[in-house]
Amino acid sequence: MSTTTLATPAPVAPDSRRRRALLMFLSRYGTLVGLAIMIIAFTIKAPNQFLSLPNFLNILSQGSLTAIIAAGLTITLVVGEFDLSIGYVASFSGLIVVGFIARDGVPLILALLLIMIIGGGIGAVNGVLVTKVRINAVIATLGIGTMLVGLGFAYSAFPIASGVPAEFTAIALGRAVFGIPNVIIIMLVVLAILWVILNKTDLGQKMQAVGGNPEAARLSGIRVDRVKIFSFATAGICASITGTLLSSLLGSGTLAAADGYLLDAFAAVFLGSATLRDGEFHILGTLIGVLIIAVGFNGLSIFGAPTFFQPIFKGLILVLAVGLSTLARRYAKA
Amino acid sequence: MNDTTGAWLQVRGLSKQFGGAQALSAVDIDIHRGEVHGLVGANGAGKSTLIRALAGITPADEGTILIDNEERRFATPRDAEKSGLAFIHQELNLVPHFSTIENVLLGAPKVKRFGVIDWKASRRAAVLATERIGVDFSLDRRVDELSVAERWLVMISKALVRETYMIAMDEPTASLSDHESENLFRVIRDLASDGVAILYVSHRLDEVLDLSDRITVFRDGRVTDSAVRGDLDKRGLINAIVGRDVPVVSREGAHAVVDRTGAPIFSARSVSRGSIVKDVSFDLHKGEVLGLGGLVGAGRTEVARLAFGADKLEGGSFELGGKPMTTRNVAHAVDQGLGLVPEERRSEGLLLEKSVSYNMNIAVLRSLRSVSALPFISTQKSKNRAQGLVDLLQIKTASLNEPIGRLSGGNQQKALIARWLTPKVKVLFLDEPSRGVDIGARHEIHQAIRDLADNGIGTIVISSDVEELAALCDRIVVLSEGRVSGQLIGDEITENKIIELSYAHDQSAPNHTSTDETIPGVPA
Repeated sequence: MSTTTLATPAPVAPDSRRRRALLMFLSRYGTLVGLAIMIIAFTIKAPNQFLSLPNFLNILSQGSLTAIIAAGLTITLVVGEFDLSIGYVASFSGLIVVGFIARDGVPLILALLLIMIIGGGIGAVNGVLVTKVRINAVIATLGIGTMLVGLGFAYSAFPIASGVPAEFTAIALGRAVFGIPNVIIIMLVVLAILWVILNKTDLGQKMQAVGGNPEAARLSGIRVDRVKIFSFATAGICASITGTLLSSLLGSGTLAAADGYLLDAFAAVFLGSATLRDGEFHILGTLIGVLIIAVGFNGLSIFGAPTFFQPIFKGLILVLAVGLSTLARRYAKA
Repeated sequence: MNDTTGAWLQVRGLSKQFGGAQALSAVDIDIHRGEVHGLVGANGAGKSTLIRALAGITPADEGTILIDNEERRFATPRDAEKSGLAFIHQELNLVPHFSTIENVLLGAPKVKRFGVIDWKASRRAAVLATERIGVDFSLDRRVDELSVAERWLVMISKALVRETYMIAMDEPTASLSDHESENLFRVIRDLASDGVAILYVSHRLDEVLDLSDRITVFRDGRVTDSAVRGDLDKRGLINAIVGRDVPVVSREGAHAVVDRTGAPIFSARSVSRGSIVKDVSFDLHKGEVLGLGGLVGAGRTEVARLAFGADKLEGGSFELGGKPMTTRNVAHAVDQGLGLVPEERRSEGLLLEKSVSYNMNIAVLRSLRSVSALPFISTQKSKNRAQGLVDLLQIKTASLNEPIGRLSGGNQQKALIARWLTPKVKVLFLDEPSRGVDIGARHEIHQAIRDLADNGIGTIVISSDVEELAALCDRIVVLSEGRVSGQLIGDEITENKIIELSYAHDQSAPNHTSTDETIPGVPA
């Protein structure tokens, strides 16, 4: 008798397994499904304006600056830290690099090199404060970022010779390869480099170990502090690149121009962590996070939604995507 | 009135299983009001399990606990508290930035008047509790400014501020000076004469003999002896703790013929740090499994921490391959050829979400580069190394890409050992290598350790488990209160000798505080 009861599987089992698989799918691919739905909906609603190569390039260009700074932030989150100074570093860099070129007459290439070194240096200072002095990352990076705001003011108080050379604005505005905007190319190169570092080098493996279990990493002989400092420096360099590109687009160095990238970067990175992986931060995810926001904004503007919709959309999509994916994952495991 | 048949607290047939291990089996114990009751036994003998059951932290599986002949449930710490039991553990649960009186008040039932807490009356009760045991420092001092001895008094006051009939104390004198200990003993005696029972858990047999009205001895989860004052001396106590001399069943290490004439590959030379590690010396020869034994807190893990640069050496040195080594941090120690399989497998060793191969390769990433000058990892080399180790150690896993968190404890531990199987590692420390794994896996882990030694890697096993030490090691250095209390080589090794040496300081030097005594068994 007992064999017959055993032979009949409990009726709920396959059902709950299917539900579980669906939830698991949603937790990893939900953001991608959302992106696809947006693209399809916009295509149907506004086929002429939305579905065109120029518009896609436009979307990618708009997202490129966010993607670069967000990719740097991703690296700090991978090692289990974060950086609130990146927006300020970007603004500061954008200001300084214009000053170097337009006021101090520093050759273009040298100015670009210098600004990346400065960005990396600021990041390294953040890293040292967090690891060696052991200041909480919130305080350290916010403190350094706030100082940069002041330094930016001081620097912009000097008269900057009006007009930046055309070569500088050409960096962001030019289309050197097949008519694709340079910012997109630069973004792809930066992301590719970071992806390779994170996934194909021993340093990247160490970063993942440090983020996954710092004590295990330390006891395996990994120099945890050094890895973290490097990550902060990377975030600094990426912020500098974004700041420089923004100045190049605007054709001038403007105070606080790039401050808003901080929140955009965080939104993109966390959207990305809910994509393909279970809450892990990764470069490809970050790129998808940027695209979700960029496509959404593009659609909003095509339909002529008032600008106040943009932050509402950004906040909503972030809370929804991360919240739903977390919930789905939890229920899938329960 | 004084009922001679029923003690105030009666434990009857208490049993508790953890996994497959019987931590307590059918334990009976009587505690009378006003007695100091000593509780002794080696590591893992069952003292802590009993305390945790009484405290309602981990309730027992079977058995009853009676108070005044009435059965009580001890399912939560609150139950124990309501029955008038208080527990003082070594970590002393106090709020560091609160004052003494605030901490004492945390234990107090609030006196209420018209439904509002009467702080004045509460404070009065707290002051009374501290006066009862002669607290002579200001009650407004913050607890983090107090010495350990003073904190003990705060903990006792915290117990006394409510109705408490028994206080259990776990190793109270572990970090007290002689003078401070004497003061605590006075407090304990006063409380006992007031009718409070004291459950006194300690490895320090002289103290236990001196203080206790009754002593209960635990071994392997059972009560092996229970005697009243005067019926036991130290020799008898040690015998009761150690038990009859069991021959070592399987000495996996016994076959190893170790050549100790050559230069040692790793040595400690008078290594010292504060009062925790005192003048510890030992040698490790090629092909040898060296055991570090002793009671919890004897300084075993601390020696390893010093070798790895996790704590700073205050005296002496370590030598690797005959050369003195200086270690700034763990990474530096690893660079020089040390490896560590940590005590807490999950929190200190594994990246649970990551794959088996990732976890095994994490300490040797540089050697897995495609081209050594470039920072790129070769997927093929990573895979080959992992597969080789999985085969070698017979690690059971669905694939190399399986998250390591899904493996059994034994296989996880083997993967952690595999992590260090690389030519650069010359000495491997293993802290409690078979904790929490089943008996089959334990045997395989021991075999793996044996293989390491046979392949010329120096292995140092730190373990509280004397059976493990005796079965596995070619040589055992036993520590007691930070010192080497003896060394056992080859056929000298028995479980009993390890336990005896663990208590050796007590034995050789009762009430002896000088620091320049000679160490038995260790050639100068």
